[in-house]
Amino acid sequence: MADTLNRSLATLGAMRESRFGSYLPVLLALVAIWGFFGLTEPNFLSPRNFYFLFLQSAVVGTLAVGITIVLLIGDIDLSAAATAGVCAALLAVLITNEGVPVPIAIIAAIVAGIVLSGAEGMIVAFVRVPSFVVTLAGLLAFQGLMLKILGIHGAINMRDPFIRDLTTANLPNEIGWALVALGIVALALAVWRTRRKRASLGLELDPVYADLGKIVGFGLLAAVGVAILNGYRGVPVVVVLLLAVTALLGWITTSTRFGRALFAVGGNTESARRVGISITWTRVAAFTIVGLMAAFAGIVGASRYASVSFNAFAGGPLLLNAIGAAVIGGTSLFGGRGSVWNAILGALVIGSVGNGLDLGGASAADKFIISGAILLLAVSLDAVSRRGASQTR
Amino acid sequence: MTAEQQHPAGTSSPPGEPHLKVVGVVKHFGGVEALAGVDFELRRGEVMGLVGDNGAGKSTLMKILAGAHVADAGHFYIDETEVTISSPHEASRLGIQIVYQDLALCENLDVTANLFLGKEPTVPGWTRFLPERLRPIDTLSMELEALAAVQRLDVRTLKSVRAKVGVLSGGQRQAVAIARAVGTESSILLLDEPTAALGVAQTAQVLNAVRRLRDNGHAIVYISHNLGDVFEITDRITVLRQGTNVGVFETKQTNNDEIVAAITSGGDPGNGNHG
Repeated sequence: MADTLNRSLATLGAMRESRFGSYLPVLLALVAIWGFFGLTEPNFLSPRNFYFLFLQSAVVGTLAVGITIVLLIGDIDLSAAATAGVCAALLAVLITNEGVPVPIAIIAAIVAGIVLSGAEGMIVAFVRVPSFVVTLAGLLAFQGLMLKILGIHGAINMRDPFIRDLTTANLPNEIGWALVALGIVALALAVWRTRRKRASLGLELDPVYADLGKIVGFGLLAAVGVAILNGYRGVPVVVVLLLAVTALLGWITTSTRFGRALFAVGGNTESARRVGISITWTRVAAFTIVGLMAAFAGIVGASRYASVSFNAFAGGPLLLNAIGAAVIGGTSLFGGRGSVWNAILGALVIGSVGNGLDLGGASAADKFIISGAILLLAVSLDAVSRRGASQTR
Repeated sequence: MTAEQQHPAGTSSPPGEPHLKVVGVVKHFGGVEALAGVDFELRRGEVMGLVGDNGAGKSTLMKILAGAHVADAGHFYIDETEVTISSPHEASRLGIQIVYQDLALCENLDVTANLFLGKEPTVPGWTRFLPERLRPIDTLSMELEALAAVQRLDVRTLKSVRAKVGVLSGGQRQAVAIARAVGTESSILLLDEPTAALGVAQTAQVLNAVRRLRDNGHAIVYISHNLGDVFEITDRITVLRQGTNVGVFETKQTNNDEIVAAITSGGDPGNGNHG
């Protein structure tokens, strides 16, 4: 009995350790949640609902992708949502109240995000205050800063057509399908090229089913997603933008020397230091990326809600949803393990649960409790699968 | 008694001048004299055991050689050229690499990533316009070199260099740490208690890897409390006691009792000097 448990733990651990398998747990969770609400709420699986589910998850997803980067180095950013709030407020004040041209306002919001988070990163890296404390202080300070920027009104409307278009414009159906086809071809080509190169160098090859599974899995997911979204209004532009940014960050974290440094610092800081990786600058860079993503989240949020209010960002559940999304996606709170793609899937899990409970008429209280339970389950799975992985030796 | 004397002729140890030689190394920590003028030498193609009781100065000497500590006094020679070792970077530039007892591997990364950590080769070509740290890593050439490195050390049980270090056995991890140290242009390898936490089979595996390196002409310092291992792997044994060198013994011409006596009491004057 104990043996069976150990073996299944080990399998779970091994499954999460493999490059392909790290998506599996969160994908299965997503399918289970969709299946459950599909049965209990007839409208849940409708194209219209899915369309809004994707839009709702975009803000959380953007922030979760950023937070994943600091989780990778074993730090945390509790101020990310407040930073997004400051950026959104700055954007709204500049455009709506001051009449500043939109591109300049966007640049100002991005610079603000980078400066605020970068400053936190410097304090964490150089003064060596734990990130938990620095960003908790940041959370409070940035909440105040957001209130100051918003002024006495507490909310500013966002009517600028360009900003609004970010989350209201959709791709024509054909372009949606073209992107799916392009994605599949590009992935297949990349997988095939790697395979051929590895074979010619005499290196071990992944099993064929794993490579094929990668392509088929991606194709299926993309095709189903686009088919559903096209069934309503088409693929929202903001979803494509978010996926593009995530792809870029995904590439940086897995394929560059900087990305390797992130994983090394998170996995074993002492080891990273001894091989000459700059811990301080890796930290500062990671926090700067969170700031950038927080600014994006602020802009997307301002667009989506057509207004900027304290509760939609700094004061609401955005932060915990974003951290929850990253962790549910399988990124470890202990550092060194995770992926920005998983953060997107985690955001969909959080969004789906909230959406399904809303459809069922659940109270805000129930939503909080159930979200908490799911988060706890995800973190427990993380802890258990770590143990499982170390038992396979 | 000074056992630090001429090398006895007619032994099986490799001939030649010492590759690394240190003379009169002194190191104080506050009021405590950790090293009180230690002489030490090491030849190419030789495994030199470094033994002594706790506090005898083994680790201090190692760390000075690796550049982690700076000696208060003393002269360092590599191939008879005097050098200074004032930082880990400088030690590594001189070809000195150390494998600490804690190994310092990233368990969340695979064997290849650990071997190249901090010095990953990047893909040549179009990526030149990117900042150095954002260039894509050349994973395939890394993996080829990692395979070669693992094969050089003869780690047969390691099935894949794409395995995460977290799932490896203790012996395999030690081998990976050794491979990382010798992967860079190194001629001197310092091993701190490499078999302390290992079982019999894994110890054999690590000793085998050390032997392969010696046969490739590396000069290896082997710190251990386990005299069994020391007698099995070393060519000579240096004994430290209270911060001084109390003797250098040819492994084949000494025995357990003599070494234990040297460790505990500085050696019995009757047979300590075997030269």
